[in-house]
Amino acid sequence: MDQKSAGLKITIFFCQRIDADQDAHRRPLEKELGSQIRFFPLPCSGRIEPLHLLRALESGADKVYVVTCAEGACRYREGNIRAKKRLAYAQGLIEEIGLAKDHLELIHVLAGTTTTIAQLAEELLAREAFVGPLPVDAPGQERQQRQL
Amino acid sequence: MPPKYHIKTAQAPNRFQAITRSGVIAWEEGCLKCPRCVKKDCVYQVYEKRGLEARQMLDSLDTACKDCFRCVQGCPNKLIQKGLNPQYKALGDHYWTPEIISVLWSQAESGRIPVSGAGYGGPFSGPGFDAMWTDMSEIVRPTRDGIHGREYISTTVDLGRKVMALEFDAGGKITTTVPPLVEIPLPIIFDILPWSPPRRQITLAFLEAARALGTFAVVRQSEMNAAIEEHLSNVVLWVDGAVNDLTDELLKTLSLIEIPDGDHVMEMQRLLKEKNPKAIVFIRMELNPTASERVIWLTQEGAEVFHLVANEYGLEKGEDPLFIKERMREIHGSLVEKGLRDEVTLIASGGIAMAEHMAKIILCGADALGVDIPLLVAMECRVCRRCKEGVACPVELEGVDPAWGAGRIKNLMAAWHNQLLEVLGAMGIREARRLRGEMGRAMFFEDLEKEVFAPMGKRV
Repeated sequence: MDQKSAGLKITIFFCQRIDADQDAHRRPLEKELGSQIRFFPLPCSGRIEPLHLLRALESGADKVYVVTCAEGACRYREGNIRAKKRLAYAQGLIEEIGLAKDHLELIHVLAGTTTTIAQLAEELLAREAFVGPLPVDAPGQERQQRQL
Repeated sequence: MPPKYHIKTAQAPNRFQAITRSGVIAWEEGCLKCPRCVKKDCVYQVYEKRGLEARQMLDSLDTACKDCFRCVQGCPNKLIQKGLNPQYKALGDHYWTPEIISVLWSQAESGRIPVSGAGYGGPFSGPGFDAMWTDMSEIVRPTRDGIHGREYISTTVDLGRKVMALEFDAGGKITTTVPPLVEIPLPIIFDILPWSPPRRQITLAFLEAARALGTFAVVRQSEMNAAIEEHLSNVVLWVDGAVNDLTDELLKTLSLIEIPDGDHVMEMQRLLKEKNPKAIVFIRMELNPTASERVIWLTQEGAEVFHLVANEYGLEKGEDPLFIKERMREIHGSLVEKGLRDEVTLIASGGIAMAEHMAKIILCGADALGVDIPLLVAMECRVCRRCKEGVACPVELEGVDPAWGAGRIKNLMAAWHNQLLEVLGAMGIREARRLRGEMGRAMFFEDLEKEVFAPMGKRV
């Protein structure tokens, strides 16, 4: 079964350089899927911190993607390489508490392609659901800020 | 002298982190582990107080940073950078620019006048309201005198029809029936929103703010409910259904009623006036090229108040639309020519985005104005128009707490009020009523351009 029909809650962190008109492109999907999909545009994928990923899982996501530009194409030179390292670190953390590391995944957009964030999200949603819903009772969206 | 009108402000913090113009991009990897990190030296303790807003995954770093670049310059391995935030650039659209939105946010949060630092590098003209310059030649003392009450400047305006002369019978008794008049202490009413998430809570916030400010909010007849009925003294009822559906009891308690322009508009006004002679009837009219003739005709027929509405970009209806300020000037001018201007009240709505627009539209001939989108922006709206498409609001406006929303709107209106006082003070005008149609205090870029350059093309 694909991830969309499996009803998995998907969170996508993505570098805004991938799609200049990301805001307009993702609206139809947001309308269709409501809270099943959440997008978090980043000024650079290197802005992602392991904590963002863990917080995403905590606030109810079953699958978190980090979409970065192609390696070597980062505006800040090595942002996507750093994103990769941080994702690996976060994967290590969730493995340590007994969760499958596949709950977090990194996607590199291929160099030279011009996909919109919506097309990309559709592709991701159509993928086979390898991980099930997160076996943790998430407390939902908390409103307070937490110290990093 | 009546007591000075003063709007009390109080900090109303954001529910969501605002989208900032720039963001910190700080690499951890490659850190030299200096004994004293530049991050520890941040004057604002941005790094030490760092937090994460989980709903939007926004780092407090960006909102707290004051752009001093101390850390950027200080890090020996150049690991800290500041980059423009693409999300900021994508806010709003060509009219509701990111600058306008973020300035509205900060005014709503603090209630203070925005200060943009020393010097202005331009541009000095642009489309719409930017093609209008105001004359501040009377600055002879601090313009803040008005704000601090050292100089008395009134921003009160009247809504309603006025009689030009009183008539008396032989016994000295007044025979003219004086029509009702409502005074509002600032020349603003809250208008219907062109789009918004479900409005229940939003309307309550508008009404609470209207009550605190002493003004009115336009509310649709179809949206009346028990909660709104508690605020009837601050409601302008927009009759979007049948008049007959309105109960006499409700009509009797309202002081302002708004009806759509149409073939039977004067009959409708008469009908409403029969039921409640004390009510003032607004005629809501979309601006269009024939608006000025229509306004003159209806004024002669006895109309009281015109609510002239442009779209959210300040444009009228029709092909090749004029901007609201141009059309208002024309309507005001033709009323003056006919000697009718002082009999009616004109309220202009649409495209009012900043405090200066308020002063400018009044200069163009409006007595008062309707504000819509800025009130939503005060409550953190990002003008993304997702609600229009049926997508969930990113700042959950549908569930806004009316008390908090009213506080934010009050702050914004206080900042606008203060800016109006400053403009009036700088123009040497002591009353918002006197500002109306005061074209001598304004210059219009298009007119000046024509004046200067048109003769150059002429052959001698």
